[in-house]
Amino acid sequence: MIALTRYQLSLLLRSHRWIPPAVLFVLGVAGLGGAALPHGAGLSQGLAWSALMLVPVEAWLTRSMLTAEPAAARACVAAAGGPRRTQVAALIAAVVAGAAFGLLGVAWEVFSLGVPRLPATNAIRTGAAFAELGGGLAATLICLLVGSAIAALLNPPVVRRPAAGMLGTTGAVVLALAWNGSPANAAVRSVGYGSQEKTWPAGVALLAAVVLLALAWAISAQVAARRDG
Amino acid sequence: MRLDKVGKRYGIRLPWVVRDASLEIPAGGLVRFEGRNGSGKSTLLRVIAGVSAPSRGAVTGRPVTGYVPERFPAALPFPAREYLSHLGRVHGLTGPDLDTRIDACLDRLGGRELAPVPLRNMSKGMCQKVAVAQALLPPSGLLVLDEAWTGLDVEAKAALDEAVAERLADGGSVVFVDHEPGRLARLGGDRWRLENGRATRVANGSAAGAKASSSAALASVVVIELAGEIPELDGLPGVVSAGREAGRLIVRVQRDSSDAVLRAALAGDSVHVLRVGDEPAETDGGR
Repeated sequence: MIALTRYQLSLLLRSHRWIPPAVLFVLGVAGLGGAALPHGAGLSQGLAWSALMLVPVEAWLTRSMLTAEPAAARACVAAAGGPRRTQVAALIAAVVAGAAFGLLGVAWEVFSLGVPRLPATNAIRTGAAFAELGGGLAATLICLLVGSAIAALLNPPVVRRPAAGMLGTTGAVVLALAWNGSPANAAVRSVGYGSQEKTWPAGVALLAAVVLLALAWAISAQVAARRDG
Repeated sequence: MRLDKVGKRYGIRLPWVVRDASLEIPAGGLVRFEGRNGSGKSTLLRVIAGVSAPSRGAVTGRPVTGYVPERFPAALPFPAREYLSHLGRVHGLTGPDLDTRIDACLDRLGGRELAPVPLRNMSKGMCQKVAVAQALLPPSGLLVLDEAWTGLDVEAKAALDEAVAERLADGGSVVFVDHEPGRLARLGGDRWRLENGRATRVANGSAAGAKASSSAALASVVVIELAGEIPELDGLPGVVSAGREAGRLIVRVQRDSSDAVLRAALAGDSVHVLRVGDEPAETDGGR
């Protein structure tokens, strides 16, 4: 599994397909974030914004990963490693790349919003800042998993037509962020972006995201084996 | 390994591409599939290689598998060596073993100089060498060749024939499709014909026969026919005889030294390899 994931990650890096989602993330977090966050926003709100941006970015990364290989090249790898495992390795590789983006986003928010307001001497404030950071990391993880699940379900080999895949993925991402029943929406709101009424606790949102991810990945892997990638 | 009533279709409302295929591929067995375009050959090979799960029935006992697809596209962003390293690791090779296997597979196909070349800069034939090399990386197990010879130069075609014979002698199995009717005929093996997705056996090489003929071929000498300005080959280890006949040099060499001798011969400036193969007398027995 490690060898397969390494191959997929190296395919993503060397094909430069990670760059467009990276640009979206940087623009979204550093550029758009400044405009979307209320003046004087705290660390929590910043972290929530960066987590929110990760949903479309991870979906894009996953799509890039799933369309990176010609079918015949995929077949050679699948003969060596098994079609299901090969598909899961591709999905893991996109999550690894997305996690790196997510951590960079968190670091950006901490340095731009957290550090300037942190009174070094006040132990209680420091503790509160760490709690905010923990909440932000949890929201980042949930958004990462939701982004991956959406893209796994709506891209090759499950949805093979490019137009349907891209439109479907975009629609699902918007839904995941806007609909208040979605784990990503709940995660972002529980950290402090938007209204906190009627939100799921972060634990429930994480559980829902994990279940969604497991289902989506299982379907994607199964279809990969049935339809030959 | 065996296939039990294997059927394959690509969707519930789509027609069956392969129906009810039951066959056994024993260790040391060679299986050839024939049939018209669209008869389901490639699909069946993909199921045998494990690239694609059967829609019905079961495939059991598949060993480590190397697969060469019909067309290997040059659209990957790696140099050949890096690509082969990745595939080798997926096959479970590591460390110095991996490097040795990569060199051996590329050398065998006469593709050493391809190692640093990015796949996207390669011609069709060069790419095909890389595709064959990745399938040969695991030293044993099943080889599935879907017209793998297409696009290879003459020397690499002969090298692939030889790799197949070796694999069979080592107890591995080989399943293939090729448009050349005589391909690997000297090695015997089973021949299956596919029509509308149904497979019927048209010739029974019997596993034992295929194995015997391939190991007999292996035990003996290889004949290399060369033309042009050929460097001195007489003194090389493994050379049984070297003599000129009708303007060509015919070298008989022990099979395990044949690669080295061929390399030495190709070191000459204008050397043409006319033929690499077994002694003619022995090939007849296998048919």
